[in-house]
Amino acid sequence: MPQVLVPTVCPYCGAGCQFFISVEKERATGIEYMPEHPASEGALCSKGNAALEILYHPDRLHHPLKRKGDGWARISWNEALELIARGLGGALKRFGPECVGFLSSSKCTNEENYLIEKMARCLGSRNIDNCARLCHSPSVVGLNRTLGAAGMTNPISDIANSKCIFIIGSNLAENHAILSRWIHRARDSGAVVIVADPRMTHTAWMADIFLQLKPGTDVALLCGMTHVIIKEGLVDSEYIGKWTRGYEGLVEAVKDYTPEKVSEITGILAGDIVRAARAYAISPASSILYSMGITQHSTGTDNVQAIANLALICGQLGRQGTGVMPLRGQNNVQGACDMGALAEFYPGYRRADDPKTAKLFSHAWGLDLPVGRGLTATEMIDAAARSEIRAMYIVGEDPANSDPSSSYTRDALEKLDFLVVQDIFMTATAQLADVVLPASAWAEKEGTYTSTERRVQWSCKAIEPPGEARSDLEIVCALANSLGLKFNYPDAASVLSEINQLVPQYGGILRERLNGPGLVWPCPNPDHPGTPILHTQGFKLQDGRAAIVPVRYRPAAEEASWEYPFILTTGRVAVHHNAGSMTRRSPSLIEREPELFVEINTQDAAKLRIADGDEVSITSPRGGTTARARLTDRVKKGVVFMPFHFPGTNMLTTEATDPEAKIPEFKVSACKISRGD
Amino acid sequence: MPVYVDISRCIGCRSCEVACKRVHGGKGHVNVHMAGDHASVPIFCHHCEEATCTIACYTGALYKDAERTAFDVEKCTGCGLCQLACPFGVVWSDKIAHKCDLCAGRETPTCIISCPANALSTDFELASSRARARAAMAVARGR
Repeated sequence: MPQVLVPTVCPYCGAGCQFFISVEKERATGIEYMPEHPASEGALCSKGNAALEILYHPDRLHHPLKRKGDGWARISWNEALELIARGLGGALKRFGPECVGFLSSSKCTNEENYLIEKMARCLGSRNIDNCARLCHSPSVVGLNRTLGAAGMTNPISDIANSKCIFIIGSNLAENHAILSRWIHRARDSGAVVIVADPRMTHTAWMADIFLQLKPGTDVALLCGMTHVIIKEGLVDSEYIGKWTRGYEGLVEAVKDYTPEKVSEITGILAGDIVRAARAYAISPASSILYSMGITQHSTGTDNVQAIANLALICGQLGRQGTGVMPLRGQNNVQGACDMGALAEFYPGYRRADDPKTAKLFSHAWGLDLPVGRGLTATEMIDAAARSEIRAMYIVGEDPANSDPSSSYTRDALEKLDFLVVQDIFMTATAQLADVVLPASAWAEKEGTYTSTERRVQWSCKAIEPPGEARSDLEIVCALANSLGLKFNYPDAASVLSEINQLVPQYGGILRERLNGPGLVWPCPNPDHPGTPILHTQGFKLQDGRAAIVPVRYRPAAEEASWEYPFILTTGRVAVHHNAGSMTRRSPSLIEREPELFVEINTQDAAKLRIADGDEVSITSPRGGTTARARLTDRVKKGVVFMPFHFPGTNMLTTEATDPEAKIPEFKVSACKISRGD
Repeated sequence: MPVYVDISRCIGCRSCEVACKRVHGGKGHVNVHMAGDHASVPIFCHHCEEATCTIACYTGALYKDAERTAFDVEKCTGCGLCQLACPFGVVWSDKIAHKCDLCAGRETPTCIISCPANALSTDFELASSRARARAAMAVARGR
């Protein structure tokens, strides 16, 4: 029987692993590994290995649906498009484009994100965003300001060349599992691994120095390390003099952050802070890896800037084995940001509030575009709650589960006059929609995805979408045309060639160059080999210098209190992904982690008379949920941990956001716990 | 030639479990155990030299094929004696026995390629040679 192997990019995290789908008689029958892949070397985590399980899941959406009473009625594509043209088009006319919100998807391809963002702006709305708002918006803001580029500075495989790897706020062993092989390789050649996390994770298993800090005290820890490095004269003065500005301000800002004071704030031993600082500063090549533990705070942007400062004063950038590495959580969250599916940026990180940007794109797209930044994903929900946003178009996202304070989010979405959701499953958000459009999974469409290391890879189409489901690209084009725009793109390649013209970083990333492991942006022209390491020759900021931006520690928005004595921090587990709409439907994953649990310190549990496996209720000022108790010493006294893959967790989390990046503080919420009975 | 585990590298991601299950029609042969709060230990078939499962198997369905403890499904009665006999609890049975076949027909066992942390290999010496290299490096650095 003829069997074809089709190369695709894994639909889960941002590591960008590729694998082959073997296709027989137009069905995806198996996975073959790809040992020549530069980041994964053929490896796949549990989620990647189970990826095909969702393709033929009985819950897949096969037809467009419209709300009918409490249920759903199957409708034709024509009727769906007409309804949307009336719903969205009507809201645009009656309330103006500022009252319509668009959420693009970091699960969709670059081409689809580009088109969704283009459609939103061409319709006159500035309210376009994607779920990067909930994961790495502080990196976009903080790194653009300090280093002039928001992306991982060095490739994943380069971690093996590092001599000191500082992992802060990232449980990469579970969430970006293939990075572990490069860290182990670095350790084999003598690298020191430092892990800072409020929870002793599987990543901590790799650590030589483990810093178990209190949730929300990252800025204090980073300032403390900076203090030690400056005080002990371990800074790279030559680098500071040549490539940075603002160093004096930093010296002043961190002078009070003595190890003793920082120890009091963070709960880490002063000696460990000094050891970590020295190890990072003196190593010939140190890298910093971070993710949600840094960004999902009301001090997220400060956290990111503190990281950049640390790297800059030690000169740990622009060389092999160094770098600042924000690890992206979704297969195309980097690409969705690159494509301008963000409230404050047009494609290629051109500022939306710059009239030159609007002029450039007005010229390119042939109509007048609005100037100024729009509402972010979190602000759109607030605006919907106040009835200032009247209609929304949400692609491949589940804010009803993934946004903080779920009941508030659901109420806000229910207030909308008109909601369209485009997804592969009937998610909690889709349940609230007026029209639901069936989209394609990654294997059923083609296009490019940009991994966390800025690697743009082409993913091929292996099989046809189920039933009448269509690729997101087709849907967006049809929708745009029904709303009076002229979107004439026969395939992803034709969109990519427009992206080549308009996004300088992608200028040379042509379709025909993307067979195999892809290209790493910036790749400005067709002969350019790509740029795996950023900042080798200075920074894309004033005078080519990076900006050191001093930051000061601010406590998290919410603290433990008499009424809510525990601090809840959230995260992921190895076998699930984000809101879980895919992994909870994947039999070999859900059987390994079937229900919501809460990790409680054994001593706290003893006081509350909670035994391992008890059903407990967890309550915060926003709401409550139940979960299975797991007694462990992985978390310290006073801290509890819950994964956010199940609907309950975000009932509890706070809606406090970072003032600049608008990311919610998922990592610190006060709560109380009691036994369920 | 069983699969050897470098415990210092295992990150408990359970990729081997899912990969094994995937290529064996939903019946996997690997179990990753969380030992205490921190360590994770994948338990594999050892392909024992004197394999108790082959001794217990009265039909000859389990037998030694050079280094491998092989399994002939045609002869299996599903009696479950092998499950009782295995000292590591890695052979199990429902209607028939299920055990590691080292991915017969594939060049390398699936779990080894799939392991994100490079914790698995068929080289008995690899884990210890890596440990020696790390020890030497620590001595040289004086920590």
